[in-house]
Amino acid sequence: MRVTGVLVAVLILTLNACAFSRGTLGEELKTESINSIKKGITTRAEVLAQLGAPDRILQLNGRDLFQYYRYDAKVGSLLLILVNFSRVSVKSDDLFVLINREGTVEEVIASKRTEGLEFRFWPFGD
Amino acid sequence: MTNWRLLRVLIFAILVSTTLAGCNVARLTINTPLTPQHVAFISEGHTTLTDVVNVLGAPDSIAEGETGTIVTYRFLNAKYSRVNFGWLVKPWSPVDPDLIMSRSGFGADAYELICDANWVIIHQAFVRHRPEPLFTPYPF
Repeated sequence: MRVTGVLVAVLILTLNACAFSRGTLGEELKTESINSIKKGITTRAEVLAQLGAPDRILQLNGRDLFQYYRYDAKVGSLLLILVNFSRVSVKSDDLFVLINREGTVEEVIASKRTEGLEFRFWPFGD
Repeated sequence: MTNWRLLRVLIFAILVSTTLAGCNVARLTINTPLTPQHVAFISEGHTTLTDVVNVLGAPDSIAEGETGTIVTYRFLNAKYSRVNFGWLVKPWSPVDPDLIMSRSGFGADAYELICDANWVIIHQAFVRHRPEPLFTPYPF
């Protein structure tokens, strides 16, 4: 009973505060929008109508490469009286659409890394 | 609990408290830091970009190079630690003293691939080979 009391007292004295915050950059890339882009079928105009203007346009051997991205940042902090732990995790969703000289989609490269992003405060380990 | 045991717990608590006085430990990760083990499956001349994307996800940038298309995965694993030894004398000092030691380590790196016209990987390498930063507040 005394041990429990001491532990509770230590917890009350050291657990000062917790903080969670989040920041995002860019529009969410919807999976159904990405899946609707078909290689050799979807045209440049359809890509623009479906996803809007790209964040970046690059040139690859005379072909246009549209890049769409979204960043998600999650911050978790455990603020104790004596020691503070905090961790910032940032991940991105990226979509690249390569459009050939004829104006149709040649390649689609996409992944959504932000789906598994969690709030973490423990800075050690992976 | 006997008095002796209680005293030992108290001494341990005081030792831990004074050791951790005013400590801050923070970490920033951007994307999943890649290691040679993560990319061991990539074989130059055989693996395609589709295979890589299936395992590592989409890259952060794609650019045109003289020898082919350059695909880059960027990541950061930054660590920061700080100790304020001024906390040790705070209970007895009329002023708010600070004696701070801190250190940051930016484990910024990138993994680059070069693809040919058929999206087959022809070259691959890490841009930097820095050791992973440690949580060590000692700056000297």
